[in-house]
Amino acid sequence: MTMNINEMLYTLCSVDGVSGDERSASQAALEMLRKYTDDCYIDDFGSVIGHIAKSGKKPKLLLDAHIDRVGLIVSYIDDAGFIKVGAVGGPDKRVLAAQSVTIHGKEKIKGTVSVLPPHVKGGDSAVKIEDMVIDTGFTKEQLSKIVTLGDRITFDCEPTALIGTRYCAGALDDRCGVASILCALEKLSGKELAFDIDVSFTVQEETGERGAKIAAYDLDPDYVLEMDVSFAKTPDSDRAKCADMSKGVMIGIAPSLSRELSERLICLAKENDIPYQLEVMSGETGTNADTISVNKSGAKACTLSIPLKFMHTPAEIIDTEDVMSTSRLIAAFAMKGGADNV
Amino acid sequence: MSELFNIIKELCAADGTSGDERAVTKIILSMLPDDCEATVDALGNIIVFKKGIKTPKNKVMLAAHQDEVGFIVTYITDDGLLKLSAVGGINHEVAIGRQLHFAGGTVGVIGGKAVHQQSEEERSKPVKIDSLTMDIGALSKAEAEKYVSLGDCAYFESNYTELGDGYLREKALDDRVGCAIMIDMLNKPLPYDVTCVFTVQEEIGTRGAKTAAYTVHPDYAIVLETTTACDFSGNDGEKKVCLLGGGCVISYMDRGTIYDRELYRLGFDLASKSDIPCQTKTLVAGGNDSGAIHTSVGGIRTVALSVPCRYLHSPSCTIKKSDAESTAKLAYEMYLALCEKS
Repeated sequence: MTMNINEMLYTLCSVDGVSGDERSASQAALEMLRKYTDDCYIDDFGSVIGHIAKSGKKPKLLLDAHIDRVGLIVSYIDDAGFIKVGAVGGPDKRVLAAQSVTIHGKEKIKGTVSVLPPHVKGGDSAVKIEDMVIDTGFTKEQLSKIVTLGDRITFDCEPTALIGTRYCAGALDDRCGVASILCALEKLSGKELAFDIDVSFTVQEETGERGAKIAAYDLDPDYVLEMDVSFAKTPDSDRAKCADMSKGVMIGIAPSLSRELSERLICLAKENDIPYQLEVMSGETGTNADTISVNKSGAKACTLSIPLKFMHTPAEIIDTEDVMSTSRLIAAFAMKGGADNV
Repeated sequence: MSELFNIIKELCAADGTSGDERAVTKIILSMLPDDCEATVDALGNIIVFKKGIKTPKNKVMLAAHQDEVGFIVTYITDDGLLKLSAVGGINHEVAIGRQLHFAGGTVGVIGGKAVHQQSEEERSKPVKIDSLTMDIGALSKAEAEKYVSLGDCAYFESNYTELGDGYLREKALDDRVGCAIMIDMLNKPLPYDVTCVFTVQEEIGTRGAKTAAYTVHPDYAIVLETTTACDFSGNDGEKKVCLLGGGCVISYMDRGTIYDRELYRLGFDLASKSDIPCQTKTLVAGGNDSGAIHTSVGGIRTVALSVPCRYLHSPSCTIKKSDAESTAKLAYEMYLALCEKS
């Protein structure tokens, strides 16, 4: 049975998978990918790889999204049993006070980010990661049987459908990108394709696009569509640096991206009545497209972004319609190509 | 789970911030036995009289507050975003970046621009809700107004969690624990007549306690509360304030009350006689209904017995269950002693 988008997001966002320890997330995504190909697996570095179409005669298109999420890592357990942590990727530390977390040790245990009440804390500065401790209610001795240095910590948030087609969960960055690829594959089932298509859900994007570097070397694509998230407008943000939530896929234009590919995608969006917005960046994009485009002798890459609010906090928000417009654009490109023109 | 914690669990799941305690009131009334006379006064305080086997020498009143801290909607923007103000003293950092809900089930998140777009200065300052909005997924004012009205209150998510070695984490433990201790007591046969008041509006200035104390006019009052504990790593000595696992907190002074010295000492004597763990606070801070009660109707001798609680006024209030049990026991011993006191 086909999952609807909310069910897909619920499944993908309910698993952990902080950078460098993505196994459970990769496994969940792999199970979902199996519906579209038997030729899929998890590579030695943890990334999910799937070969969708392999004629050997067509140009190779890679559809990539990253599978890892930001979080924390256990760096020390003090004598009183409190856990000191480091950041993995760039979580927004200002919203972590009293946040419920899950420590992925030998078993999963719950904890709370300790916070001083205002009348005791004093001063007017945000808590630094190095000053945070996690409270589990266990003694050091009890904890040492469950938690090991290096265990990852995720922020708790029950994936929840909001009003209309809006959806709130942790790790929507970039599990909604993964979902957009799966939705595109659903649309492509049984269709004539313009490319040989590979899919990768890569690890360690948040810590420097490392999984993508490794996967791209193996897959050696000619074209890359990178599905990631980008900034949706909030009242306090710079209008020029944000897109609008619910107004469609963001097509990237940047020096590091293929201008021809961006233009072709804009053209396809127009032809197919797919709502889209432009995301203009002045250098690299900060997505896996930067890394994959310089793989071996190079690939033409474009980033398609899903507008997201509250990036790198425990409760990110997207509009699932924006995931759908992203998947429609992926499918349109995969079928119609336009490779000759690109 | 003992009866006390079943009651705590059910009470905490209810939402009732200051001035809108009705849902909590309804549950408390449903938990009272038939042999109680319960009235609800003009402000919403529940005043419960229970006949004991004997008439006491002195009229004794127990008090705990029903209300919890929360947020109230003050404005809806044209974009369908909500402006909120805190009801009661909340460190905004503990509410931003995670899900909050309304009584009707609508869920939203208070947030702002992504960490990537914050300046160094913005990242180093604690977040405040004044400059931020809550997103419930509405795309217009009209859509938001279908779900939320001005004056509606938003609450931390309820999630009763047993943590570590005998700890309990949940929203609103302040002061549903006090309410639960009284409900548990009222459901047992009692040797002396007693009056229990479940007060309202404690969090915005101990307002319910003023009218309740006037109406009841007891000789002695026992205030059952939770109190700030900062006994986690990063704090030493007196800065820990009180300790989870250290037993019931008997206060000598806070920002609202200098406690009756004789009753303070009586608390320690009773605890010692009955082998009940107890402690006091090592910081003069906070306040509770005692402040209003002890100056009512010409003065009421008052003692405060509190359960030490970490991360008060957050979604992650944390107590040690044994401390709640110690406080319940000492409250009972104190009630007996004050009923008989010459």
